[in-house]
Amino acid sequence: MTEPERTVAGLRCSEVLARLSEFRDAELPPELRARIQAHLDACDWCLRFSENFLALLAEFHRQLAMPAPLEPTVHHRLHERLRRSLRHTPS
Amino acid sequence: MPALYSAGYLHVPEEIASASEPDDATLLLETARGNRAAFETLVARHQAAVYRYARAIAQNDADAEDLLQETFLSAFLFAAGFRGDSSVRTWLLVIARNAALRLRARNSRASADAQGEAPLAELGWRAGWSQDDPESLAICAQRRDRLERALRSLPPEYREILVLRDLEGLSGPETAQLLGCGLPAMKSRLHRARLSLAAALREGGNDD
Repeated sequence: MTEPERTVAGLRCSEVLARLSEFRDAELPPELRARIQAHLDACDWCLRFSENFLALLAEFHRQLAMPAPLEPTVHHRLHERLRRSLRHTPS
Repeated sequence: MPALYSAGYLHVPEEIASASEPDDATLLLETARGNRAAFETLVARHQAAVYRYARAIAQNDADAEDLLQETFLSAFLFAAGFRGDSSVRTWLLVIARNAALRLRARNSRASADAQGEAPLAELGWRAGWSQDDPESLAICAQRRDRLERALRSLPPEYREILVLRDLEGLSGPETAQLLGCGLPAMKSRLHRARLSLAAALREGGNDD
């Protein structure tokens, strides 16, 4: 099921969708930020999506910010390559 | 660490050495002087992040390993070129990116930004916007393996910006500078990348 676009606080749903990342990153001018917030307060469809979209981004960072350690074979090949290539450089 | 220790005149007691690990810039300076131990510490500190970034921008894992190795070789050879106008981590990522561009040019593969032209509303719809089950997004995101799989399924341009901005935590201007684009273009690509991640997560959510 698809919800038809609404206009709330002078903004269409698609305009809110287009600005959600900037809204999340606090990169919007205060006036536009307030209008988006007003839209979200009154449009349950946009509110539900934005809450879940922002939750996804928070979870993405929480779970993957720390890179996984190198696999042993990748680690071994890296250090072998460095050892071979730098053998003749002065230390 | 006391100056006499850091200057290398005295043996550094372990408890002092571990209490104050040298920062990245110091290690790089030492690397430029040919200090292998400093370089090894630097490699150990950043290898996982460089490899993650390399996997984001490379076409395959073999290329990513090449990029990883080339990056640290270049870092050793050109350590003296570090000017200190970014973090050492960011400097390493720039080296990796330049190596990737050279590799791509050698392989003559066109950059594929397949979803770049898709209307934003269509991308949003695939991500769950204007649909009646947006909650499925947050549920899928609880699983690390699903997040990793969704990330891997994206075009390299989207993987790259997500790693830089949302995982490495580079600022908007830093990311734009590294990518060689303007801030508005960076923001637009980032938003499309995030929506594409959401779409990939939803679409792959029941593949287990």
